[in-house]
This record gives sequence, structure tokens and C-alpha cells, in this order.
Amino acid sequence: MNEKEIKFIGKITAGVTHEVNNVLASIREISGLLTDILSITDEKSFPRKEKFQTSLQKIQNQVQRGVKLTSQLNKFSHLPDNNKMDVDLNELVEHLIFLTERFGRIKNITLQNLSSTQSIILQTDPFLLQMALFNCISYLLNRMVNEGGISICPQKKASEYSVIISCEGEGTDKSTIFKDAFSSEELLSLNSIMESLKGVYELDESNASIIIKITGIN
Amino acid sequence: MEKIKILLVDDEKEFVETLSERIRMREHNSDVALNGEQALKKMDNDIPDVVVLDLKMPGMDGMEVLRRIRKAYPKVQVIMLTGHGSERDEEEARKLGVFDYLQKPVEIETLMKKVKKAYKSKFESTMMAAAFAEAGEFDTAKEIRDSDEEEDMLNKDKKKSK
Repeated sequence: MNEKEIKFIGKITAGVTHEVNNVLASIREISGLLTDILSITDEKSFPRKEKFQTSLQKIQNQVQRGVKLTSQLNKFSHLPDNNKMDVDLNELVEHLIFLTERFGRIKNITLQNLSSTQSIILQTDPFLLQMALFNCISYLLNRMVNEGGISICPQKKASEYSVIISCEGEGTDKSTIFKDAFSSEELLSLNSIMESLKGVYELDESNASIIIKITGIN
Repeated sequence: MEKIKILLVDDEKEFVETLSERIRMREHNSDVALNGEQALKKMDNDIPDVVVLDLKMPGMDGMEVLRRIRKAYPKVQVIMLTGHGSERDEEEARKLGVFDYLQKPVEIETLMKKVKKAYKSKFESTMMAAAFAEAGEFDTAKEIRDSDEEEDMLNKDKKKSK
């Protein structure tokens, strides 16, 4: 996909998430109004008041969940806006985990951010970098059996930035996880992404890890 | 409790009308405008204490409405309430003098706290002038009062010419 095509998808996604957010805001206000009316209604005139209140609270909770999702999706849709910017690696990883944890949840695999509290900032293409990390996560998820965890750890040593994506799980065979790795769709795609990012990746079989190394765009 | 006059400006009819109803249930005055032009027209006839303003609207966008309100009605406080404004939007709004900048959807109690704060700050300039006068700084007090009086006169002239 070329840059224009990616930007097109981003723009449409941003527009639609904005509209969905407006829908959620309306639902929130309308359910809020019902809550207000309920608060001035006594139990005698409305015996099922408590059940109603509980249900309204559940609506509000789902609205909150929806808002978080649209907010993160909106953030994702804006990633292609700028192909060279200051990126906080920790925040990027956190964002990616939020967007992709569902894929792990289906297989009972937890995604975890092992970043330190310190900010790691580099100038790079955030969309391509997230895509690179996603390919690594995707590769490991597809080869892990159900149950386990994938940890993502951004690091900085001198002027080199790296992200270590590791997997572990009792059922996962570390000795075969990278069998025929280089011909896989995910790592073939990762190859070309890393070229654009002016970085490289390595496979660490002993730790069942994929290590992304980037120097940042100058 | 003092009744605050609030004008809600948003093109999302269901959202803004329901919010207005909830505000009225809380014993404040609330009116609705579905776009920027309508909002400014309403303000010509009845100046609110606080405006709650959406950013992205068809026609005149929220930023332009904010600009015009700050110019014509500097005593009116504006709270921006937007779906997905960027950091740049927030920065621009704050430079234009927005009182606060909130993300939609917002808890009504949070919004009302901000509205009350905005309303309170309206009276601070009056109290500030009185404080300066009491402290003997009459020039500063007069400056503050003159800027308030100028706005009141401009608004009276607008009403007379209609």
C-alpha cells in the first residue's frame, strides 16, 4: 500500500470514529437524563427502580468502554499523518497493546508492556514502526499454542533504540517457534518495513524473541 | 443558588438538547444553538454567562465562534467541549482565551463544576477592581472598570439599534 492509500484509510477512519464518538456522547446524555429522572422518583411509584438504575449504570460503563476504543482508534488513524516525528516508544507500545490485545485474548495470551518509566523518544515514522511491531506480535501469536504471554520491551542503549518482543507459555515450543521464519508472511513484510525504517531485526531463538533495532530518522 | 445562564452550541441535536434538559433539571438556565451563526445571533439578543461550544461544526467552526465571542463579549466565558480535538486545537483555543477545554463525552457533574468556575471568574474582575480601589490603586481599578463598562455600553448600543 502506498502513502496516499494509507492516508486515505486514516482519514476515513478518523471521520467515522468522530461520528461514533458523537453517538456515544448522545447515548451517555440520554441515559444520564433517565438517571436524573430516576433520582427524583420514589420506590413506591416505581418498584423496579433499583433494577433500572443498575441497567443504566451498565449502559454508562459500556459507553465509557466505547469512548476509550474510539479514542485509541482515532489516535491510530492519525498515525500516517506524519512520517517523521518525535515518537515516545513507551507510549507507542502501550497504544499498540491496547489495539491488539483482543487478538491475544482470543488465544488466552496476554500482551504486556515491559517498558521502564523513563521516556524513550526517537524521530521516526510511527505508523511503520507500529506496523513492524504488529508483524512481530502477529508472528508469535500465530505460532504459540493457547495460553501464555507476549512481552514487549522498548530499550535505548547509547544511540541505538530497540524493542524486544518475546513470548512464553508452557505449551509453546521455543525450539521450533522460528522454524521457516524467514519465509513467513509476517517476517517478509517486516523485512521491507525495516528497510524503510532504516533498521534491522534479529531472531533470538534461545529467548524466543524478535529484536527490532532502529537508529531513528535524522 | 445563583442561576447561571448557559448557551450550548453543538450540531448534534440529540446530544445538545438532552444536555440542556439535564442542566435545567439542575436549576440553571440553558439554551441551545445548533451552529455558530445561530449562537451569535442568540447572543445579540440575550447574552449568556457561559457558552459551552463544540469545535467541529458545519459552517462556522467552533474556533471562529470563539474568536468572535472573545472579541464582542469578552466577559462571556467559553468552555470548549469537543470529540477529538488535537493538542494544536487546544493550544489555539487557549491562546484565544477559552476558559477550559474538555473532551466529549463528559460527566455532567464535571461540566457543571467547570461552568460554575467559569461563572465565578466573571465576577473576579469586578471584585478585583474593588480590591484595587480599596488598596488605593485607583488607576488600576478604573482601568478594570472601564473595560467592563465599555463592553456593557457596546452591548446596550447593539440592542438599541435593533
